[in-house]
Amino acid sequence: MAVTKVVMPKLSEAMESGKIIKWLKKEGDRIQGGDILAEVETDKADVEMEAFGGGVLRKILAPAGETVPVGVLIGVIAEPGDDVAALIASAPAPAPARAGAPALAVAAPSTPAPTPTASPRPPAVAPVPMRPSPVTSAPAAAVAAQPSGGRVKASPLAKKIAAQTGVDLRLLQGSGPGGRIVRRDVETAGAAPAAMRAVPDAEFEDRPLSQMRAAIARQMPLSKAPVPHFYVTNEVAMDRAWELREELNALEGQPKISLNDLVIRACALALLQHPGVNASFRGDAIRVFHRAHIGIAVALEEGLITPVLRDCHAKSLAQIAVESRDLAERARVRKLRAQELSGATFSISNLGMFDVAEFSAIINPPEGAILAVGSVRRVPVVDEAGLGVGRRMALTISCDHRVMDGAMGARFLQDVKRLLEEPLRLLV
Amino acid sequence: MASHKFDVAIVGTGPGGYVAAIRCAQLGLTVGVVEDDRPGGVCLNWGCIPTKALLRNAEVVSLLGRAAEFGIRLSGFEVNYAEAVQRSRRVADRMAKGVEFLFRKNKITLFPGRGTLKSKNVVEVKGTSGVETLEARAVILATGSEPKSLPGVAIDEKTVISSTGAVRNERAPKSLAIIGAGAVGVEFADVYAAYGVQVTLLEALPRIVPLEDEEVAKELTRTFTRRGITVKTGVKVASAKPGGPGLVVETDDGKLEVEQVLMAVGRAAKVTGLGLEAVGVQLERGFVKVSPLMETSVKGLYAIGDMAGAPLLAHKAMAEGVVAAESIAGRAPRPLDYGNIPSCTYCRPQIASIGSSEARAREQGRDVTVGKFPFTASGKAVALGETEGFIKVVADKATGELLGVHIVGPEATEIIHEFAVGRTLEATLEEIIHTIHAHPTLSEAALEATLAALGQAIHI
Repeated sequence: MAVTKVVMPKLSEAMESGKIIKWLKKEGDRIQGGDILAEVETDKADVEMEAFGGGVLRKILAPAGETVPVGVLIGVIAEPGDDVAALIASAPAPAPARAGAPALAVAAPSTPAPTPTASPRPPAVAPVPMRPSPVTSAPAAAVAAQPSGGRVKASPLAKKIAAQTGVDLRLLQGSGPGGRIVRRDVETAGAAPAAMRAVPDAEFEDRPLSQMRAAIARQMPLSKAPVPHFYVTNEVAMDRAWELREELNALEGQPKISLNDLVIRACALALLQHPGVNASFRGDAIRVFHRAHIGIAVALEEGLITPVLRDCHAKSLAQIAVESRDLAERARVRKLRAQELSGATFSISNLGMFDVAEFSAIINPPEGAILAVGSVRRVPVVDEAGLGVGRRMALTISCDHRVMDGAMGARFLQDVKRLLEEPLRLLV
Repeated sequence: MASHKFDVAIVGTGPGGYVAAIRCAQLGLTVGVVEDDRPGGVCLNWGCIPTKALLRNAEVVSLLGRAAEFGIRLSGFEVNYAEAVQRSRRVADRMAKGVEFLFRKNKITLFPGRGTLKSKNVVEVKGTSGVETLEARAVILATGSEPKSLPGVAIDEKTVISSTGAVRNERAPKSLAIIGAGAVGVEFADVYAAYGVQVTLLEALPRIVPLEDEEVAKELTRTFTRRGITVKTGVKVASAKPGGPGLVVETDDGKLEVEQVLMAVGRAAKVTGLGLEAVGVQLERGFVKVSPLMETSVKGLYAIGDMAGAPLLAHKAMAEGVVAAESIAGRAPRPLDYGNIPSCTYCRPQIASIGSSEARAREQGRDVTVGKFPFTASGKAVALGETEGFIKVVADKATGELLGVHIVGPEATEIIHEFAVGRTLEATLEEIIHTIHAHPTLSEAALEATLAALGQAIHI
């Protein structure tokens, strides 16, 4: 097995160095990909550092308490027989990191640390799925079809059908030999609701700036630096969503759905329809994301943290409920993993529990927008039947004017409103 | 009464039974097998193998007849059908000995005699030397099938013979009516016609080899007719009664006087006299009902091969034998893909096919593209002097999925496997055309037919 270099991960866009709180594994321990190696303190949070490869933790190069620049070698995972002496010797002498320590001090990390836009894990140290070596007449059990390096194991026919029907092979489990994706896997997924479908292969596309957009992009920061915000507010009739949620939560064996889960699901679906909102200003281009990775602001005593729920567009309401609850709970006990803290393409901040009529949130760069969710309040409403009582919730979206205009934000918000007011749409 | 204990007892040692036995032994199980004939079953003793020997004889005879075409002048030659049959017996005998050797090699105990189920895990064997019982953790039934007849026509193996009688019969009749033009019917038509028998092929359905693609049937009809075989389709046989040179066959299309009749209307599963009812094994349309892992409705009792349902093919039985053995040994075998079993007929020209016929694919609503390449355009086929037939590839227009392949022509039964592998791997037309095929070979025609499906054939 390959030697895996353990380097100080870049856990947020702004992170330059991290302090090792403690090692959870010691030299000589056997490590599997995905094991938690250490806890690292960053400017934002204490996060757990995952192993990206399997083997034995041969050497720890940075002891607990030490602050290390991003990208610097802090440990080596290898099989007992592998020669790692040269690698260890090439590491810089442990020394406290200076502020802004240059990445040049890095002991040739084989790959860059994850950034929000790159794949969440560096390819060369991608986790190797642990599975027994294949036996002849291997069982038909489903095995993850994606080995290291991101190559998807799929039959030629499966690939063609997937390309024609818009099924994303990377989201499938193969049922063929060794986890190979075969025709029936793609056909099953193709017949399934939007979950498995939808997005192109590329993580994003860069669309050239139009003249107008370039002009707006030049002008807007001058009026309000650094991100020119604008705000759009709408009011949503939540009566049906409220009822639906109560019905769902009365079902046995189903995860409890929160109002925020409904909002997340609505935003994910609306973002697919409004890619211009799921976008980021890149200086010379607008980066339009094809996946909805939604940051969910979680209030902590000492501040705020925004863990990222990835691929929301491909997740059912139940999945969103389970995963967002898990993220929030772990955020409160500061047990989030590095990759759960970056890469959001949009964020939601919900202050509903604080009986807030409405508010506006600050965009979390480089994202292009954030949605502020107020409380569901019982208010007098006038409709054809006259005066009645209804449940209303205010939504305010803050948008980066360099990325989009008011109408775009408004149309997005309209769709979110429609999804919440006709909430059965959230279930299909 | 001697009693023996095994992990697995297997009743029947045809291609299903003997393969299952060997695979069980490989997986560390002790195996006892029961056989009331020679090991190897119908396939090896009375079916596939001896008929292939006879067909080879027929081929040699017809080649000798074409000697002048190759610049060889013969001052006449004599053929002796009895010797052809004797040769086929030697071939079958050698193969049966091979199975006996494999049993010894794998420490499989053979119990000659007739096996019946006493319970779901006890088999009683009535042999020449008395009665013995085999008690086993699991039992595999692999008793195979036997020729069927039609009402009004009784098989006596003298004037009305089955394929079993035909392979034993050392005397070729002067005239023969073959009832049923499936694989068995057309293969014997080929053999007998080569030895000068006046053959009439009678088929109730609108075409011969009715399971094959329509164009394939048409091509075979053409070459058979040219060789002097009378082909009558859409003809129903009412009776065959003694008279004339031997029998008078009455059909809805008139009377036919022949010396012998060969019944080739199909085979029926051998499911009686086995004690199936007593242990509660469920049947379905005359076959034993089995799970995808070959287990019957009774836990621990398995059935494979012809008795377990269509298609009645030796290679299907062998594959099922492996599935049953691995299942018993606690492996998790991959069930057979019944839609991907090649079907082969060894008349000249040979026929091989896999997947759906063009008509069937269209019935299923597929938007198909068809590529066809005739062997007349194949350099190798011309050099061999075997230019009859073609390869036809039926594919899905949108994806290039290989829906079916139909070959009639030289070595069709060998060429088909490239498409079998392709279909197993879910290859599309493109993967076949990106596979370089050696020149000159008959398999090049496979490449060309595939190219033709994309409108890109080079040599036509």
